[in-house]
Amino acid sequence: MYNRNVNHPKNSRRTATVVALGLAAAALLSACSSSSSTATTTTTTSPGGTLSASNAAFIAADLKAPGGSLEASGSTFVQPFFNAAFYKYTGLNQALQINYQGVGSGAGITAFENGSVPFAASDVPMAASDLAKVPASSGPVIQIPDILGGVAVAYNLPGVSARIKLDGPTLAGIFDGTIKTWNASQITALNPGVSLPSHTITPEVRADSSGTTYIFTDYLTSASPTTWTLGASKTIAWPASAVQTPKNSGVAASILSSPYSIGYVELSYAIQNKMSYAAVKNAAGNYVVPSLNTVAADADQKTSVSPTDFSIVNQPGATSYPISGYSWAILLQKQTSATTGAQVVKVLDWTTHTGGGQDLATGLDYVALPPAVQNQNRTQLLTVTGPTGQTLLTK
Amino acid sequence: MTTVEAPVPRQAGRGRRWSLPDKGYRGMLAVTAVVFGALAVWFLVSVTIQAEPAFSTLGFGWIFGGTWNPSHGQYGLLPFILGTLESTAIAVVLAFPIGLGTAVALAFLVPSRVRPILSTTVELLAAVPSVVYGLWGLIVLAPVFRSTVEPFLTSALGWTGLFNGPDNGPSLLLAGVILFIMILPTMVAISRDVLIVVPNEQVEGARALGATRWQVLRKVVLPGARTGILGAFTLATGRALGETVAVAMVIGNSPYIAHSLNSSAATIPSLIVNNFGESTGTELSALFGAGLVLLLIGILVNSAARWLVWSTGHEGAGVEVGR
Amino acid sequence: MTALLESPADPSVERRRAVREAAASTLRRRKLGSQVALGVCWLFLAIAVVPLIAVVYYVILKGLPAWSVDFFTHSTTPEGVPGGGAWNAIVGTVVITVIGTAVAVPVGLLCGLFLAESQGRAASTLRFTADVMTGIPSITVGIFGYIAIVRNYHYSGLAGSFAVGFIMLPVIIRAGETAFRGVPRSLNEAAMALGARRATIARKVVVPTALPGVITGVLLAVARGLGETAPLLLTIFGNQYLEWNPTKPMAALPTLIYSYSGQPYADLVQIAWGAALLLVVVVLVLSIGSRLLAAYLRKEHR
Repeated sequence: MYNRNVNHPKNSRRTATVVALGLAAAALLSACSSSSSTATTTTTTSPGGTLSASNAAFIAADLKAPGGSLEASGSTFVQPFFNAAFYKYTGLNQALQINYQGVGSGAGITAFENGSVPFAASDVPMAASDLAKVPASSGPVIQIPDILGGVAVAYNLPGVSARIKLDGPTLAGIFDGTIKTWNASQITALNPGVSLPSHTITPEVRADSSGTTYIFTDYLTSASPTTWTLGASKTIAWPASAVQTPKNSGVAASILSSPYSIGYVELSYAIQNKMSYAAVKNAAGNYVVPSLNTVAADADQKTSVSPTDFSIVNQPGATSYPISGYSWAILLQKQTSATTGAQVVKVLDWTTHTGGGQDLATGLDYVALPPAVQNQNRTQLLTVTGPTGQTLLTK
Repeated sequence: MTTVEAPVPRQAGRGRRWSLPDKGYRGMLAVTAVVFGALAVWFLVSVTIQAEPAFSTLGFGWIFGGTWNPSHGQYGLLPFILGTLESTAIAVVLAFPIGLGTAVALAFLVPSRVRPILSTTVELLAAVPSVVYGLWGLIVLAPVFRSTVEPFLTSALGWTGLFNGPDNGPSLLLAGVILFIMILPTMVAISRDVLIVVPNEQVEGARALGATRWQVLRKVVLPGARTGILGAFTLATGRALGETVAVAMVIGNSPYIAHSLNSSAATIPSLIVNNFGESTGTELSALFGAGLVLLLIGILVNSAARWLVWSTGHEGAGVEVGR
Repeated sequence: MTALLESPADPSVERRRAVREAAASTLRRRKLGSQVALGVCWLFLAIAVVPLIAVVYYVILKGLPAWSVDFFTHSTTPEGVPGGGAWNAIVGTVVITVIGTAVAVPVGLLCGLFLAESQGRAASTLRFTADVMTGIPSITVGIFGYIAIVRNYHYSGLAGSFAVGFIMLPVIIRAGETAFRGVPRSLNEAAMALGARRATIARKVVVPTALPGVITGVLLAVARGLGETAPLLLTIFGNQYLEWNPTKPMAALPTLIYSYSGQPYADLVQIAWGAALLLVVVVLVLSIGSRLLAAYLRKEHR
């Protein structure tokens, strides 16, 4: 169990929060946070910061958003989390439904640029070229992290029960098609004692514009800069031997049904579908199995993230899992409808904070946002204004 | 012929009287015809306008380009045109003989008591939505192909060079076979319809001359039904060309020209359905251009089908169902 | 003295004897060839039957377990949450198809009536256009629906109805025209002789007589509209919740099947099979029902 703040028995706090929905959680939270230790950059106490004292009040107010329905689309990396969080939110609010469609980070950004959805989700924030497509009259775009997750290298190797170890250059070779068989020397060298078949490797990759692809190729670029030449992007010119499938769920299903295949999927998909996934070599030279602890360890190495400096792959640290990343929610700072605007900010505030959606993270195999990031999110959301300039996020 | 209404002014140049209610009635019908015509024009114009930026930026040659890589500014439709044509070709190469043979069997060979039931069953299967075929193909047929059919074909027919590619799972062959299963009922139903209307006297005359049943079929029935059968064939081809979801679910999404039946490929419909949501600018325009190309191919094939079927007088035989 | 019709020197007799001899001498070979060829036809029948039966078999085998009370009463739930169903998709499909049909049927039938009564070049161009449009790739209808409705309005059930109606319209026009043309001219002329107006003739003679064919055509068009996926994928956006309002994004059965089929979560795949079985059953009921209704109406009209 991952402990962010070693001074607090978070186990019991988390259990109590889940059981006593909403207000009870807020009460316990405010009781606990008042005696928490402060965030420092020392390695023994939590590097993630502490949650602001007013969190409980905001969470309670978030559940009183105006009724109706909201559309959103984008990343499939975050989809299992969003589906569960929004489902729970509607269970509590009863009047507001959030219709989230996982269509891939790229399609989500496009929908946001077109104005089809009031907020979108993407595992890589909008770049300058994307932001340029938003009309200037719409105003600035706010991007906030909404969850923390890992990208597992999942594979389907019949007859091999041991966990495979892989490093950056080997993964680069597999996914650019230069390493073609499972018993290639680069792979056997990393896995002594494991008898690997001579079958051809089938790389399983994304067909659509994907933030998960970006995180994975960001890692390959960082860990294998000389041999990985296909770049870090949401869309990659994969080799012809790769099988391309849309969405994280599609790639997961494809790996599960294709023997001798290997691909990259968000950790939640790999764990929930009981897939085999590799131990990946991190910057410190250790082979790390992706898990909530190791993903959090990687994120803790760089707690200050922003839309222009968002990459957390390949961080130092003995237990860091190198292929980790945040997923981002994207919305306009100047909302043109007070109702929709209030719905958007309150739903996002609830989803990105402890006491709200973040409590569901662990159960779904995601890592909750560090408190410092949560506080930063709220600060950002407080700047969202309605048509008459009023602040929409209220307590 | 007299009417009971008061005399109304004749329309100049017309041979009959049009009363006001008649004109209103005809007018109303004409309005709906105009609405339909306008809708068709709106459709063509919309798609063309959206596709135009791609053609003005990239010229026309990109349709035959071999690489599709929008993030590097490369737009080439050739892999998808080939994928569309190849998957359709597999489907019709299988569907034509098997469909025709089945139609012959249903029309002449099967005991007459069973005939109506079997024929109705086949026609009803033509109405099954294509997404159901896609689901079945993905979950039931694909594993069988990967584990049994493709290895067998590779070992038996590898010498042809058609099965050289990596055996990944989704493949051109699988998509072609799913399309074949989908267009089979159409092919059988329409062929059977045209086979049974060949005049009985011709059949009996040939039998009286001592011809065997096969000779009767080959020399009398099939030639008589030839145009209708070709019409069925082209209708089935048209449906295979335009099929989107069943193919997208099983063909893999490889934006490269497929070099073997075993490899993943892509078709124009699968390209559009997978990339539409995330495309903007030139890429989006190129997808509309791809749609136009597909439309042209489809219109050509369907026009040929309609002309063939029409010229045999079987107007009602071509009602398409279920896509 | 009666002249003989045949004489040994008559060339036609020679021809007939030659034919008989040729027939007799090649009989065994020809019979064998016939048996082989017909055997191949039987074989092809068997080959055709196998996959078609396999499709129906698996859809029933995997779809029936999905049919539960929850399936028909609950909307879809997130993966892993029990009690999910397809009710939102069923409602969406019904609403979208009903609206599409409600617009396409009147326009299509009136257009078909127009074409049945007209001869001019405009009419034959329209007829050809309708013919060609029955076969256009449905993805192009989808991108048209996106540009025409979604871009100017938003993702909605109405955009889906527009696209589905667009696909149904030419089918209804052609089926309608064929049915209306099938009304015997004698009936038309008799009515005209009695002094009836064109509109009255249409209403009291043409439409009732053509009704069986019209109903068959319409029901088949509806069956097709129900199963269309590609046009909906680009226009309705989808919805996890129940939505009756067509101005909002909706779920639909074909798009549900498409997105759930490729999922690794077994509970979602099962819902896909259940939805597939439902679609097949409804389409079959419509097809069979249209035939039965047409036959009944034809008998009634005698």
